[in-house]
Amino acid sequence: MFLALREMRHSKARYSLIMVIMLLVSFLVLFVTGLARGLAYANISALENMPANYFVVQSDADHTFRRSQLGESELAAARAVAGEAKATPLGVQTSTITAADADVKADITFFAIDMAGMLAPEVTEGAGITNEVQGSAVVDSKLEESGVTIGSTISDQATGMSWTVSGFVKDSSYSHTPVVYINQLDWQAMKQGAVQGGSSDSTDSTDSTDSTGNAPYNVIALKVSSAQASEIAAQQQSVEVITQKQAISSVPGYAAEQNSLLMMIAFLFVIAAVVLAVFFYVITIQKTSQFGILKAMGTKMSYLAWSVVGQVLILSVASLALSLLLTFGMNMGLPDTMPFQLDGQTMILTSLLFIGMSLLGSLISVARVAKVDALEAIGRTGA
Amino acid sequence: MSAKLIMKQVTKTYGDGDGAMTVLNNLDFTVNEGEFVAVLGPSGSGKSTFLSAAGALLTPTSGEIFIDGESLRDKDKGALTELRLQKIGFMFQSAQLLPFLKVEEQLLYVAKLAKLTTKEAKVRATCLLKRLEIWERRNQYPEQLSGGEKQRVAIARAWMNKPAILFADEPTASLDYSRGREVVRMIADEVRSEGKAAVMVTHDDRMLEWCDRVLHLEDGVLVQA
Repeated sequence: MFLALREMRHSKARYSLIMVIMLLVSFLVLFVTGLARGLAYANISALENMPANYFVVQSDADHTFRRSQLGESELAAARAVAGEAKATPLGVQTSTITAADADVKADITFFAIDMAGMLAPEVTEGAGITNEVQGSAVVDSKLEESGVTIGSTISDQATGMSWTVSGFVKDSSYSHTPVVYINQLDWQAMKQGAVQGGSSDSTDSTDSTDSTGNAPYNVIALKVSSAQASEIAAQQQSVEVITQKQAISSVPGYAAEQNSLLMMIAFLFVIAAVVLAVFFYVITIQKTSQFGILKAMGTKMSYLAWSVVGQVLILSVASLALSLLLTFGMNMGLPDTMPFQLDGQTMILTSLLFIGMSLLGSLISVARVAKVDALEAIGRTGA
Repeated sequence: MSAKLIMKQVTKTYGDGDGAMTVLNNLDFTVNEGEFVAVLGPSGSGKSTFLSAAGALLTPTSGEIFIDGESLRDKDKGALTELRLQKIGFMFQSAQLLPFLKVEEQLLYVAKLAKLTTKEAKVRATCLLKRLEIWERRNQYPEQLSGGEKQRVAIARAWMNKPAILFADEPTASLDYSRGREVVRMIADEVRSEGKAAVMVTHDDRMLEWCDRVLHLEDGVLVQA
């Protein structure tokens, strides 16, 4: 480190330039990562925050919740394995609502759940709803921003049904739309209305509506061990058990959105490594005669290698620290509507990966230094 | 009196077959303690090869070399590096100081490699810099020094680790006559005050005043002038 530090002290401009580039790239990496995480969260936070780790879906539904149709028999089978409390039905319906008093029209997703079960939303404002009383809903707080308040009446455009908003929940989105939680009674009313009023899909729906007249659910949320999950899957031909992760990546649009951002992040990592590698390689070539002299004087190769790697380490850690500060600063300045989220774990992982890629880039220079022969020191006139 | 450098029947051949070129041809050479030897020869006579072989930078095709009683044969790269650090001081053409180290740090760096304690190194560096009259320049970078001053720093750096022998590769090449003579005188003074040995390779026969012996490199062997 003796040489590494003094060289950086002497060539401040050169190393500052490299650091500025690293700073910009690492900032971009962190920012895009935060944006990707933020977008993902804004997309599917309702699923991510669910206390369920597996979902039962119809096997021909392609893991997509809305395509799946399950009835009481599947629920009973799942409950037989998982237990009453650990398997609970979920109905999903995308629709558009209007609020009479607030001039709001918004795309939302209905989640029909057992209000006494494990999926019951954690109300942050106002009151929850029960399984017995019809006509009340708990909605995502994003609707509050568009003007819906507690006591507002929201109506579903498709069915004409309406609910009184009794409370708000935080961070509940599905496919970028706010979630409206309703109970099973309303769900059945909504579905039966659709069956009676609907024409084209009535045959499908009546097929899967079971003998008790209950409307089918879309999926069954489970909180079970992986052994139980495979047991449930094995019992029934027509269903499939998928993990929460699989469910999330099957939300329409989620994979496309995340993959393009992920590709950007991957490229940024590669760019960071290449830029650093090229810079250091050029500097190293420039110093070939110096390395020859150092070796002739009796400097060990390992010492020189650490010198190069040390410089890269110092530069990447310093620029990373600065860009972390910058990211935090910017996060505070960002408006709330901008989806940006960077948790500690992602941040540490990103940082380690960035440093790792930088070190990888420095290896080319180390290989170059190893090739320099001490003999080059003798008989050279140029400095 | 002990020999600091012994070269026995050293041959160095480049290439093979018909195109083989013998640069050193069964060369015998001994430098004793307290001796300052000059090796003269026109360019292309193999001075660099001679110095590289003697300085443990190049393995000869045949023959054996001893530095301070230690044979260089059978030593691997790492061991040779260590030997150069401990036993050999090098002076290169145009001084070849590290541009990013201040004068005193040039000396402290080699001391650090040789694992001297900081205090020891400081004392030794101060003593050398004072003796070579560049103590006032200790906090300057090489770019701020004149050619003669740079070579004086190079002398100090070469003696820093108390090597058994110093090899100087054309130390006066980039200096004018009077400054060149000054540098050679200082090398001679150091040989005497350190009680060690030195070999200087040069093509300039005006610099030989303080040398104990002068040899010519001709056809791969050293001959008395």
